[in-house]
Amino acid sequence: MSCEGFPAFISAQLHYLLSHCPLSIKIEQAWSGGKYSGSLDRFTLLIPYCLDTIKWDVIYNAEFPHAAPDVIFGPEDEDFHPFQDRGAKSSLADWNNKDPTRLLALIQELRDQYMSYQRKRVGEVDDDRLKFEISTILSREGIEMHMSSGIEKPEEVKFAVPLVDANINKMVAGCPWRHQQKIYLQVIYPVSRKYVSTPSAPRLKLMSTSELKSLFSIDDVKLPQWLDGMCMAEYLPHLEETLERQILEAVTLIEVRRHFIESLAPLFGRPIETDMVFYRKSMFFVASGAFSFLVLFFLSTQFPKQQPALMLQSSLYFNAQGIPVKSPLLTDYPWSPRWEPSQMAERIFEFLVDESLNFKKYCSESQLQH
Amino acid sequence: MEDLQLQKIAISGPTLASMIQRFSSSPADVDGFIFGHVTQITPSTLSDDSSSADESASQLVATITGFICPGSPLSFYDSLGRVDLLRVPSHHQHHNLIGWFSGRRQSPLRPSLREFSVTSSLSKIPQFHLPIKNLTLTLTPCIFILFTTPLTDQLIHTHQYRAYQFNPSSKSFHPKTIDIVNIGPAFRGHYGNFVPNCGLPLMNCSSAMDEESLSAKKDKLNDQKQLDSCTEGFQIESLRRLMGPEAANYTGALEDMYEKMLGKVESLARLVESSSAQVLELENHNRKLRYKVTRSTGLE
Repeated sequence: MSCEGFPAFISAQLHYLLSHCPLSIKIEQAWSGGKYSGSLDRFTLLIPYCLDTIKWDVIYNAEFPHAAPDVIFGPEDEDFHPFQDRGAKSSLADWNNKDPTRLLALIQELRDQYMSYQRKRVGEVDDDRLKFEISTILSREGIEMHMSSGIEKPEEVKFAVPLVDANINKMVAGCPWRHQQKIYLQVIYPVSRKYVSTPSAPRLKLMSTSELKSLFSIDDVKLPQWLDGMCMAEYLPHLEETLERQILEAVTLIEVRRHFIESLAPLFGRPIETDMVFYRKSMFFVASGAFSFLVLFFLSTQFPKQQPALMLQSSLYFNAQGIPVKSPLLTDYPWSPRWEPSQMAERIFEFLVDESLNFKKYCSESQLQH
Repeated sequence: MEDLQLQKIAISGPTLASMIQRFSSSPADVDGFIFGHVTQITPSTLSDDSSSADESASQLVATITGFICPGSPLSFYDSLGRVDLLRVPSHHQHHNLIGWFSGRRQSPLRPSLREFSVTSSLSKIPQFHLPIKNLTLTLTPCIFILFTTPLTDQLIHTHQYRAYQFNPSSKSFHPKTIDIVNIGPAFRGHYGNFVPNCGLPLMNCSSAMDEESLSAKKDKLNDQKQLDSCTEGFQIESLRRLMGPEAANYTGALEDMYEKMLGKVESLARLVESSSAQVLELENHNRKLRYKVTRSTGLE
């Protein structure tokens, strides 16, 4: 969402927040609190926390630009009262509406306090296993915790444990990611206040920042089994080792895909477009006699184990909406991951020579229908 | 020490309406002080069971009798919500400060970061301890009333409010019911809690009776002036006829006095109307000036 419709002083601070924050904060909605002027002066921020988002309403006052904004926290956090003990140090203390960095500083400060608030709540839970887990993993950096309790929901404690210390962004040449890519293990413990001889295993889920999937899909990772009586400190090292190996492999696969796309060039000509960072997509222009079309190659992160998906797109035939006629995704053609890249290219070329005739027929038929 | 718990908060219909009117007519968010008193009420329901009597014996009711709205935000606290003692009136027309209110458009009906701090800070000031009627204990200004307008336009209602009592020892808000006291037979029992701000003046009876002596004439003039503050054009001589054995025959005169009192109220209302128009004009002027300032700072 853009920063349009806000008065200049709010939009400067908001723009700075959205572009400089290491987390990807979003504005869910913005509206005006004035009686006459329609300038937007209040908005809901979606702030990532513990692999979920928290919603905070920031309330400025367009009529009184010099007044510092106020914040309303979520309905489940009515006991969260930051700045109670260390008010003087807060970024709110000497608010300056002309300083664009202020809102970011405020949100970061509040989020830090929210983190300690949640950690304190989790620490107060009367559950022996949880107390043990916290004491053994506290030394790990960047762990976020969240205590969820509701009238209808069972009490649960959620941990977000960052995995793999290595900087993934630096492993990718020409990395386009603005935010640091991370993989987390979400561990959810049901709170058991009664003594249980064998506490149930926590719910585990691997999660990653969304952009990482162009390099590496965490859905392909099989989590090791959680054995009875296990704790996180035992479980994590093995998982991290596996992940590190798989990430390194994913990085080398970029090179394999690049090599494959390059081997297509002698047969198909130079690609019109190629994803030059991850080599997941490439587009070629092909002519067979008077019939010309585009071939799109989609390569998964599992390439070459998984063959590329192909799509043909006509440059001559358009449907009633003016959109070029496209073939369905083609994935059923001869393939072996053990072939040399040049052989892969040759076999695809041969397949497409036949397929182009089908596609030509398909194009002219769809044209006749209109 | 355990905090004293209020049973409910009582407010007269006109006072609540006036607060809502102040909120809805303001160009931006508003806040202000709430004045009133806290009373311990004796429950009217009698019970044979003595054990339950102890509980009901400690029923505290806060009655809101008035409010002041400074008209600009952060007028008595800073951006962190720390209250500036010198800018808070502890009394207003013999009524104690019992809390504060905040009205903000289009926002959730939950106390904000700053509202929590202001309430907490206000309840910590020892000078503001107010006595409880019928009890030797004191209470801090701990009432907070929040007004908002709903976030979605689809709803039928235009305003919503919620009242809280702040407990300094547990540092938490406790929602309290607001009891709106309206005029009518159903509410007669509640009237005692609302001490009138303006009663009929005390007048010397003889001045109305004896019209001869000079000093009596002077007194009469004085009393007429006092009576004029309540009624519009009611003669002091007529008061005379309202006393004594023949009063029963003069219900007409009494009705006349009430009519004239209503006339006074009406002329006051007209005054308020015209001064409100002037205030609005000034506010609009201020708004335009503020926009100019914002625009010029935006260009910097």
